[in-house]
Amino acid sequence: MSERVLLHVGTPKTGTSYVQDVLWRNREVLAQAGILYAAERFDAHFLAALDLMELPWGGLQSEAIGAWDALAAQVRAFDGTAIISHEILATASRAQIGRALASLGHGAGTEVHLVLSVRDLVRQIPAEWQENVKHRAQLGYAEFLDEVRDPERATRIGSWFWGVQEVPDILDRWGQDLPPEHVHVVTVPPPGGAPEVLWKRFSQALGLDGVPLDLEQAERANPSLGVPETTLLRRINKRVNAELPPADYRPLVRELLAHQTLSRRRRSPRLALPPDLHPWVSSISSAWIEEVERRGYDVVGDLDDLVGAPPVEQYADPDHPRERQVALAGVDAIKTLLLDDARLRHDVERLQAEVDDLRGALERAYATPSYRLRRAVYLRLESSWLGRTALRGYRRVRGRSTP
Amino acid sequence: MSERGRAWVEHLRRGGTTPWSSFDGGPSGLDDPQEGHLPGAQQLELLRRLNLAGSPSPDLVERVVRASAPGRGRPDLELVGAGPERRFGPRPVDPAALPDAELLRVATGLIALSVVRSAPPPVEPRRPRRWRTRYELVGDPYVATPLTAALAADGRPPGGPGRAVLVLGADLPTMLARVWADRTLRGSVPPWPEFVARVHARDQLPRRVDLAAVAARQRSLPGTGRVSVVLEPHALPGLLGVRTLPTVPPDLTEPAGELARRVATAVSLHVTPPQQADLLERVLLPRLVASDAGPRPVVPPEHRDWVEDAAARLHRDLTRAGYPVVGDPGGVLPGPWESADASPTVLDLAVRLLLDGPWEGVS
Repeated sequence: MSERVLLHVGTPKTGTSYVQDVLWRNREVLAQAGILYAAERFDAHFLAALDLMELPWGGLQSEAIGAWDALAAQVRAFDGTAIISHEILATASRAQIGRALASLGHGAGTEVHLVLSVRDLVRQIPAEWQENVKHRAQLGYAEFLDEVRDPERATRIGSWFWGVQEVPDILDRWGQDLPPEHVHVVTVPPPGGAPEVLWKRFSQALGLDGVPLDLEQAERANPSLGVPETTLLRRINKRVNAELPPADYRPLVRELLAHQTLSRRRRSPRLALPPDLHPWVSSISSAWIEEVERRGYDVVGDLDDLVGAPPVEQYADPDHPRERQVALAGVDAIKTLLLDDARLRHDVERLQAEVDDLRGALERAYATPSYRLRRAVYLRLESSWLGRTALRGYRRVRGRSTP
Repeated sequence: MSERGRAWVEHLRRGGTTPWSSFDGGPSGLDDPQEGHLPGAQQLELLRRLNLAGSPSPDLVERVVRASAPGRGRPDLELVGAGPERRFGPRPVDPAALPDAELLRVATGLIALSVVRSAPPPVEPRRPRRWRTRYELVGDPYVATPLTAALAADGRPPGGPGRAVLVLGADLPTMLARVWADRTLRGSVPPWPEFVARVHARDQLPRRVDLAAVAARQRSLPGTGRVSVVLEPHALPGLLGVRTLPTVPPDLTEPAGELARRVATAVSLHVTPPQQADLLERVLLPRLVASDAGPRPVVPPEHRDWVEDAAARLHRDLTRAGYPVVGDPGGVLPGPWESADASPTVLDLAVRLLLDGPWEGVS
């Protein structure tokens, strides 16, 4: 039975991919320090979360069957501290949370700590829209904002957004059975600060201080896109969604175009919260800060980080972008696709040459008189009942199915 | 947990049908004060609908109350007026006002678990008969797949050198509906109107019902004998060398297909894709067709011109290519368009299916 389980349940866009990459790459170092990060593959905890929460995910769910129980069994069997981390766990229901905590040994001697990393809504709102667009969404920014602001939260977008972003509600659901000192809220520093500050906060919350982790190899994944790039991607989604299956969308659109091409265009205007929504966001943030303080959780960082930056001076509306900028992003995208297509054509040519060589070798082998004689006898025998019976007997004696 | 809320849960557990908004509270009838949260409004409203439609078994009642809804959607919602107002989290709701889709999420999760847990033993096929017609059935997948499976189980597996390839077809609207029905069982298809819209947008028939292309592809394969397009189902026994054909499932209605589609997604959370298709064909499909017999989905009016043009192209391709056609080649053309009749809703059907238990082996 684990002595301690550190359960990092979100929120998305708070450096979680980086944390998970550090943990994944340093599994052995962690194990030597008596810390378990149980993962056979880099997305093992994502699969476990899908399984726990019964979420279909573009066909990936078939790889997730039984993943939570398997992870929980590894955690229970480990004598020490175990870490589990995935940001979509933030949206789990009370029933799923009850099942998760029980399966990890909560109430049976294991000390469960909850870790929630949080970032201001000024950055989270545009980041979530962009994430939706990178997952095939076609809706515009204004439409997204309307759905997020709808108090009913009845749409897919609204319910998911608040499910993974409403800090007091997430803490209420996940932390209802935990003492407040076992609930750790890690705040993401304001933009422009030193990047290692966030890692130091995670390290403190996850009890990793003093563990000689290699941070050099880890990827600060999930790069962000600018305004024209996100608009371009949304337009691409509109054109390809009906025809491009998820298995092709992931490598071609999300990876090749979004992450490897468009995210490298750093000089285009960045996505931002519309200035007129700042007062609304500010009132929400204040209420959250007050509530988290009142509950007495362990805060790693500064709750004022949740206030967010003031409105940008020059707001670029992604629903009305500068078409020249979108066109330039489009040209970069076409260039990438052409180069990739050229690479694939060369691969096809090389493979075709190999196939031709093999076919030639096969034909030369078939052209021998002895093969032609055996083939003629075989076809003759196959054409009659007696012949087929004889062939079966021959195969039985030879122990194989070809003459 | 509020006293009124607990009392309503008990009311529903005992088969009550009073909506939450009209429920006047009163004692729950339980001796021990129970801590914790009420089940979600979605689960409780589904239970009320089940009570309205029939008498759910005590086992089903408990499964509904404890269920989690799979997939994305609203979280388990609280009952409006059941407790002190919360500052955070989704707003409490009047459960009777919830849209069907929210109740369906819970219902499909429960049906999916029933399907998974009532997996029948695998069918042991009969030893292949010595004297049998060598055949292969392609084309309309909703007919070809179960027919081939039934013939193989009866000792008539497909294939073999010189096999006669029978390309099964029907009028194009029927074939489109059957392709959709077949794909609903595999969980890889959008709802019917969107499916037709996508086919139209691509301006290309689904691969398996582009009969001329299927016939051309089959003819180019080694070991193929005569390739025929079969538009007359009554001719099939003679072509397959059997006296009578095994029964194939009747066409799915649109609500039944939609429910199958949703259940398939929920089943995919528990079993691998090949198991999923087998379970849905052998466990869910017979119950669906028994629960909702009716006409197949109707092509929405905005796509009918395209379907007529595509059918005319198919007819022309078949005639030009000169494949032997069993039946009238004009059989691929649409008949008079029917209007969509008033079918039960998908939720009605899901409720009926849940009440129709027991599902074998469900615990």
